[in-house]
Amino acid sequence: MIKFNSAKPLLSLFVASLMLLSCSPAPQQTPTQSAENIPSTASTASTESAASTSSSPPDLSGIWQAVNTAHWNLQGHTAKKMPVTGVLGAYGAMLAGSSVVLGGEIPYRAEALAKREANEADWANLDPAAKCHIPGIPRLTYMPAPLQILQTDTEIFIAYEWGSNSRSIFMDRPGTSAPLPSWIGYSLGRWEGDTLVVDVTSQMADTWFDAAGNYHSGSLHVEERYRLIDDNHIDYQATITDPEVFTAPWTIRMPLYRRIEEGARLLEFKCVEFAEDLLYDHLRQGYDGPKALDGSLREDSN
Amino acid sequence: MKPITFFTSLFVMATANAVLADVPMKPWGKPSLQGNWDFATITPFQRPDAFADKEFLSADEVEEYEAAVLASRAARESQEFAGEHDQSDLDVGYNQIYIDNGTTMTTTMRTSQLIYPANGRMPAMTPRGIETAGYFRVLQSRSPQGPEDRNVYDRCIMGFNAGPPMRSGAYNNMMKLVQTEDYIVIQTEMVNDHRVIPTNGGPALPNSMRLWKGDSRGAWEGDTFVVTTTNFTHLTRFNGSGENMVLTERFKRVDEDSLEYQWTVEDPEMFEDKFTAIVEMNATDADLFEYACHEANYAMPLMLSGARKQEAQGIADDTWLPSWSR
Repeated sequence: MIKFNSAKPLLSLFVASLMLLSCSPAPQQTPTQSAENIPSTASTASTESAASTSSSPPDLSGIWQAVNTAHWNLQGHTAKKMPVTGVLGAYGAMLAGSSVVLGGEIPYRAEALAKREANEADWANLDPAAKCHIPGIPRLTYMPAPLQILQTDTEIFIAYEWGSNSRSIFMDRPGTSAPLPSWIGYSLGRWEGDTLVVDVTSQMADTWFDAAGNYHSGSLHVEERYRLIDDNHIDYQATITDPEVFTAPWTIRMPLYRRIEEGARLLEFKCVEFAEDLLYDHLRQGYDGPKALDGSLREDSN
Repeated sequence: MKPITFFTSLFVMATANAVLADVPMKPWGKPSLQGNWDFATITPFQRPDAFADKEFLSADEVEEYEAAVLASRAARESQEFAGEHDQSDLDVGYNQIYIDNGTTMTTTMRTSQLIYPANGRMPAMTPRGIETAGYFRVLQSRSPQGPEDRNVYDRCIMGFNAGPPMRSGAYNNMMKLVQTEDYIVIQTEMVNDHRVIPTNGGPALPNSMRLWKGDSRGAWEGDTFVVTTTNFTHLTRFNGSGENMVLTERFKRVDEDSLEYQWTVEDPEMFEDKFTAIVEMNATDADLFEYACHEANYAMPLMLSGARKQEAQGIADDTWLPSWSR
């Protein structure tokens, strides 16, 4: 059930709406300025109505959105100039954000950290999400667009506005595996008390976690945890395990806010049409110079 | 009531109950449409000339038609492509193994998926429709100046058989339907796309907001889920439709294994009449694969680089339309 409990959700919503309009990130909203500040136990007045009964799991159905800058950088970052400020002015800047990584730092292996830094240095040419490639899990959760959860007994379907992507979380086939890797991976869900736990495997190595070059290998395993902490907030956590790239598992944590405005719905963000300039400008008729975001001439241009 | 009528009524009621008993229901009293559905068929979209005056085939004729299609596939599989200007292998772009539109006609034994107009053929286009189609034909006939010159399927924005509306095509004829009381999601394998449809209608988008897949709103009419879709873009173009087409889709669970999907396109700007098709959908245990079209769209940069190289070499090329559509 959607309720307007206080002014805070409205403020979050307003900021989220601005973010959608501008396709720019919004600052995180209080009281969850950092991952550590999310209440570890549900303590709000509306918790009882959201909590599960012994016979049925909580209902996560609804339209949700992360309101943070994790899609730019999971780790704490200050605002910075982006390659498009010459066109968009202040709208083209990256907003600051606190780390959503528990503990603040991602435990990279030394050689993997070097690759992360190379990724970041050339992110505009390399970031798969900028090319409108499927962002993978968990990145789709915190892309700057809403998602919608449809909950059934056999599968929980998440529709993402970003790129019209989606995934099925299968609730009725434990122990199965995907026949082959995919961008979105293979998701198996189960309830642990009132928490939806999702194991995501078989993701291709081609996705990143953010636009700061944080990446993984084909051995990635993601364990997501979705817990309804009151009617309008989900405590979302994702634990990343990938021994090829990281020395230890690490966890991101952020709230997902329910879109509570009347008529809230997913719209369409088919990002292909917005990635074509980046991907194909140099192959257009009359192309007359480097137009890559970083100013370089790409190898396959004439 | 005459006895024969009475008994007939009893029979009809018993039959109807038997049918209903076979339909899985949701706890809130609506038929379950949920599942993975395969809509591949070799029943032609439009009625072939050979069946001009024939709406239905006999069982023997269906068998004969299916055998002919399979024979034609086998012939293509072993065909040698040759000749300086023979690009017929390139036109299709796939070996026969990729073609996966089933091996059977629909159980209706109809000669076409189109059931209206009555001749099973697309209605005539209006002068505006002809003019618009001509514009897009010219666009796609020319050496592409940029990605926007190619159609929405080449650009991986839409799936050629995913619609809306869905219809059987060369491959990936699969859709997943997930159903709650308030929403129904249709996920099409081609091209990894979805529509989230409210089951209680809800307000339409303003006319100025146009979506590639349109704006879909649903409502139950008895046991049939009816979806109305408007607000398309002018580039969406289903079979020559325009941005103001009104699409009505009707989903009816027939029994455990089948779903009847009927749709009607109304677009008086582009067509002289509406047109309606029936698509049979069969329940399948197969999962949908992730059709990551754009992620692997090697064709687009190759087409564009090819066009640029031809320009640089002063080569005029008129083969951008496949030979079967010239």
